[in-house]
Amino acid sequence: MPFFRRKRLFVILIGIIVLVAFIGFSSRDRQELSTAEQFLNDSVGWLQSVVYKPVKYTTDIFANIEDIKNTYEENRLLKDRLEQYKNLLVDVQKLKEDNQELRSVLNKTEALTDYQSIQASVIAQSPERWFEQVTINKGMQDGVQPNMAVITGEGMIGKVNSTSKFTSTVQLLSGFDRLNRISVTVYGQEGDEKGQPGLISGFDKEKETLILEGIQDTSIEVGDSVVSSGLGGIFPENLVIGTVEEVSPGQYGLTQTAYVTSAADLYDVDHVIVVKRLSEQPEEDLEVDEEGEQ
Amino acid sequence: MKRFFLPLLLLLFLVLEGVAPEILPRDLINGKLYIIPHWVLVFSIMITIFYDLDHTFYAVLYGVIFGFIIDVVYTDVLGVYMFFYGVVNYFIHGLKLVLHSNLFIALLLVALGVTLADVGLYVTYNFIGIADVTWQDYAMSRLIPTVVANLLFLIVIYPLFKGKLEQWSELQLNKKKIV
Repeated sequence: MPFFRRKRLFVILIGIIVLVAFIGFSSRDRQELSTAEQFLNDSVGWLQSVVYKPVKYTTDIFANIEDIKNTYEENRLLKDRLEQYKNLLVDVQKLKEDNQELRSVLNKTEALTDYQSIQASVIAQSPERWFEQVTINKGMQDGVQPNMAVITGEGMIGKVNSTSKFTSTVQLLSGFDRLNRISVTVYGQEGDEKGQPGLISGFDKEKETLILEGIQDTSIEVGDSVVSSGLGGIFPENLVIGTVEEVSPGQYGLTQTAYVTSAADLYDVDHVIVVKRLSEQPEEDLEVDEEGEQ
Repeated sequence: MKRFFLPLLLLLFLVLEGVAPEILPRDLINGKLYIIPHWVLVFSIMITIFYDLDHTFYAVLYGVIFGFIIDVVYTDVLGVYMFFYGVVNYFIHGLKLVLHSNLFIALLLVALGVTLADVGLYVTYNFIGIADVTWQDYAMSRLIPTVVANLLFLIVIYPLFKGKLEQWSELQLNKKKIV
């Protein structure tokens, strides 16, 4: 019996050593996952994609029944909006043409707004809520690389965290911290002012909003829209991030801190678009697509 | 063939954990309460109670293996789930020797096991700097809902698997002893 006791202690000690070694191995700044991890991710990912579809289908039926209740209200509202959009569409078309013309005059064919999109579906969400991650069904084979922005129709939801051959994990905006900041521009509601530069520096877990820092001007108001500025070197320009929810003076009173609610619903994502920035990146030599002008 | 049932079931629970945020009530998740499904752990504790004999440690082995898969697939940090799922199953295995196995003991052991594992995860993640909430916040918004939800899960799977596990234990473990 004493031998067994000693063996037990021995095994637990080895366990702790393995734990520390694994944590050390995985928490250093890794660019790529090891082959074993990629293999596990892909094989579990395959199972997940099989299971996720029917589950999603059933939960969607219940959600649809909920939706039907509000249909009448929504329909009336949307009809009103539609009228406005027609005017907007003409404006946008004109601006686009103008923009293209001016660009051709300048001989500048590359813009920060250019991106190539990769369609993907969510196949799992991380149950461990300390990690705000979802898994999508596109990987290295489809051209997904770490740090690419991930958006839905409504706006940005996060960035690619790590990739395997056929799946990748996406870090949701709600899991962002100081290590992955987004450079943004804040536009007022009037539409004719110049945008204010700022920096999304993390996520406030209690308010459930993004933290926007580094705003110089005091003219930012509740309801202003926040879009990515493309100056961070990773994300393309003009991805919608959200709207300002609350403005308060910053830590030292020199700048302002704003709280931004994300435009996309982070907890109900189904189909996403992985965004590959076409414009050349300053530091990293990620391959640039030949046709950068589409 | 029957030997593969347990790993396959565990794998199924592991995959289902990934769609759990879809199934679990949304208000609870978007609100202040968080439910973390530890279904693999709950089932492996059931394996400890009803399948393992006094001298076999299958549940510990399964805990370590599937804990590792959870680490790889669902989190950024390796080894944490692996360690705590293994240790908790080992601990429960020790307690089981003293207690009889019925529903109430199972509830008690699962509550204890899930609490231990989740607190262990919180402490470790807090230490690395991933979980940055205070102890009180954690206990109120994560620990209590998690334990309650996993107990509900146990109540669902208990009648389904209790008999099966005992049957498989008879078939697979006792036979080996005779041979």
